[in-house]
Amino acid sequence: MANSDPIPRDQAPPSDSEETNGADEISEEGEEEEDTEYEEFEEEEEELDPVRERERLKSIFRRLSTDPVHVRVHDVVIKGNTKTKDAIIEAEISDLFKKPRTVQELVAAASIANARLKQLDVFDSVSITLDAGPAELPGTTNVVIEVVEASNPLTGNVGVFSKPEARSWSLEGSLKLKNLFGHADIWDTSGAFGWDQSLEIGTGVWVPRFKSVPTPLSARAFLLSQDWLKFSSYKERLMGLNFGLLSTNNHDLSYNLTWRTLTDPTRMSSPSIRRQLGHNVLSALKYCYKIDRRDSHLRPKSGYAFSSTSQVSGLWDLRGLKFFRQEFDLRAAMPLGFWNAAFNVGLSAGAIFPLGRNFTKLSTSVPDRFFLGGHSSLVCSLGGPSSLLGFQTRGLGPNDMRRVLNLNKDEGSSVQSDCHDFVGGDLAVTAFADVSFDLPLKIFRDAGIHGHAFVCAGNLAKLSEGEIRNFSTERFLKTFRSSAGVGVILPTKFFRVEVNYCHVLKQFENDHGKNGIQFSFSSPL
Amino acid sequence: MGDSRSSGDRHLFLVARKPRFGLPTACPSCLPVYLYLKLANADFTVEFDSSFPDSDHIPYVEYGESVALNNEKGGVIELLKEEAILDLNAKHTSLAIPDLVSTKAMVSSWLYEAILYELWIAIGGDVAHNIYFSDLPWPIGKILHWKKIYNVKKLLGVTKVNCEERELEIYKKANEAYEALSLKLGDQVFFFDNRPTDVDALFLGHALFVLHALPETSELRSNLLKHDNLVKYAEHLKAELQLDSTPSSTQPSSSSKDASTSSAPRRKPSSGWGAKPNPKPKKEKTEEEKKFRRRAKYFLATQLVAVLVFLSLMGVPGDSEMDDEDAVDYDEE
Repeated sequence: MANSDPIPRDQAPPSDSEETNGADEISEEGEEEEDTEYEEFEEEEEELDPVRERERLKSIFRRLSTDPVHVRVHDVVIKGNTKTKDAIIEAEISDLFKKPRTVQELVAAASIANARLKQLDVFDSVSITLDAGPAELPGTTNVVIEVVEASNPLTGNVGVFSKPEARSWSLEGSLKLKNLFGHADIWDTSGAFGWDQSLEIGTGVWVPRFKSVPTPLSARAFLLSQDWLKFSSYKERLMGLNFGLLSTNNHDLSYNLTWRTLTDPTRMSSPSIRRQLGHNVLSALKYCYKIDRRDSHLRPKSGYAFSSTSQVSGLWDLRGLKFFRQEFDLRAAMPLGFWNAAFNVGLSAGAIFPLGRNFTKLSTSVPDRFFLGGHSSLVCSLGGPSSLLGFQTRGLGPNDMRRVLNLNKDEGSSVQSDCHDFVGGDLAVTAFADVSFDLPLKIFRDAGIHGHAFVCAGNLAKLSEGEIRNFSTERFLKTFRSSAGVGVILPTKFFRVEVNYCHVLKQFENDHGKNGIQFSFSSPL
Repeated sequence: MGDSRSSGDRHLFLVARKPRFGLPTACPSCLPVYLYLKLANADFTVEFDSSFPDSDHIPYVEYGESVALNNEKGGVIELLKEEAILDLNAKHTSLAIPDLVSTKAMVSSWLYEAILYELWIAIGGDVAHNIYFSDLPWPIGKILHWKKIYNVKKLLGVTKVNCEERELEIYKKANEAYEALSLKLGDQVFFFDNRPTDVDALFLGHALFVLHALPETSELRSNLLKHDNLVKYAEHLKAELQLDSTPSSTQPSSSSKDASTSSAPRRKPSSGWGAKPNPKPKKEKTEEEKKFRRRAKYFLATQLVAVLVFLSLMGVPGDSEMDDEDAVDYDEE
């Protein structure tokens, strides 16, 4: 990676022509003292030996970094972009070079510009240089941005990841074609195959800005197939389009148009699931606000994070699903002052309501409800109530009995199929407290391996189909499930592994909670 | 009318496709089941499904935790008879059984194929669209409609080459069936022994659909109209069963069958009927096998973790966070 730090051009022993440049770079109109000082420098230049020359340069740099040396940007020159449109690069950095009045501010702005251009992911390297301005305009500088476009626009990667909402980890691969039309556009095709036989294929495009829209836009077509037969007796197939309308550090607005089909090839589903089988259209607008002030999202020791996700479905009367879904997630971390320990707490809640006349009597769609359980990390995941260690994926909450088999009519024997279908809840609340600490051995500390102890709790409730009238806060709080445990976290290059021993403190009939060791694999990033 | 054995205090839920054309359910597969329950004087509630037009398990009848799906064991009616829930044929003499079976086979095959051909291939898309796809968004309905037409053509063996020939064959068999049924019925109220049977339910469903749902240009309808006694039979029973009035029904979205919460006591499985699903039930694993598998999983997982720890310790990984010196965290408001 080429050096991207902004570098003043006059590193070599200055010649006569550069004398003026040296004066121009750091002088300010009207400051005669500095002009005089530099003139003295110039007069002595030819007589200095190399040691004194080095001293002189150090002094210059010291002044540049500490004293407010005034400068003004005269022009921004972009070089090296044969395919990328100038407008794209200028749009990324235009606001940064108008304000700086000193060299220090200019260097900071150049760092930001460098980072922004690198984030476009279409350049192999970005180099920003501060050059002398025109001779007739002393105290000005030209910012020269030199980019090296990606030599190979086609890149690919393969990885193994685990998502909180997925049952297990998945093998993902993607191909990206960068900058096809010179708008820093990135076209990608990806596929993911999950250990639980889920399959996702998608293709899409991302642009940093489009015409007058200053924020990134994206469009994606996808096909996703998930198997929930073991937990809820249905398979789910989704096909649709996703449009990213607004994407900044804190805000994300997207529109999703999906054709969803639920089937039950085993024909063993419970009545609740059986009535949900079929085709549906999801036409939904989703807004996510996220703020993360924690010092680390893998092992936070201080700070806080908050996210809110709102989803409205049923737009434009496409005879699809109509509901409003809201999630909140709040985290906080504080250092404990010993063993590099930190205390993390989190509270998540979510609710879904059908929209329409007599909405209290309507039903919500099972895939859109909340499910608790699974092994995803309590601390790392930030996105609504989902994880409850010690319980299987979709392992608690409202459920319905599956179909009865009548194997031997003569003997009158019947076999109950494998328990129940978990149908999810319209209201979900989870909370956790976690203490992370370094392990005693230095070799573990150096490797980033640390331990943690946790306690978590959660509950689901049904509110649709008239159940909201029977809802009682007291009973909801009394029926909270909870678990506690300890574990070790191994952050490797390929995975982030959590090995936890969980002990279920409280569960109810038909819940799938289990004491024992659990593994969790997630992305190391 | 009819004899409903052992249905005295049992309430059934029939899930069928929605009503249309003055019929309690417009789907030609669901209507015979509805009529069967009506003829048997069963106590049932109809629920309508409009989101799964391409399923073959609808119609289905629920009772307790058990269910009779249309794509199992010959259909809902056969299952209801087999499990002795509702058997309209129970009181018929053994002498009538062969005749009854052959008549049922004729109605279930020849007339069923004729309905399929007429609805999906011959008369165009409006009728089928109104029955099955009108509640779905247009693109989805259109795709499913094309898919169904393709499947029906495959089922009936209709190709571009033999289309006309197959059409003649199907109509010929339908006419022969109408002739035979007309002769069999004569002036009777029902086909056999003046009591309703499953043949009455099947043919009545077919006849009402052909007369009320198919357009006047339909050849099948024209052929049926040639047999006055069959038409009178259908209209008479329609009035008798009061099929004109809107059936008491609920939409699936407001179904009274709620899911239980996990704190509710476990319901005991009923000793009623069920059905063997196609997939074979998994073999019961012994405790020892389960224990062995669990230990094997733990062993493999421990080995994997040990390898990862070894890799980590031998090459201390860099900070897992992106610690780019040039990256600047700033808010864009």
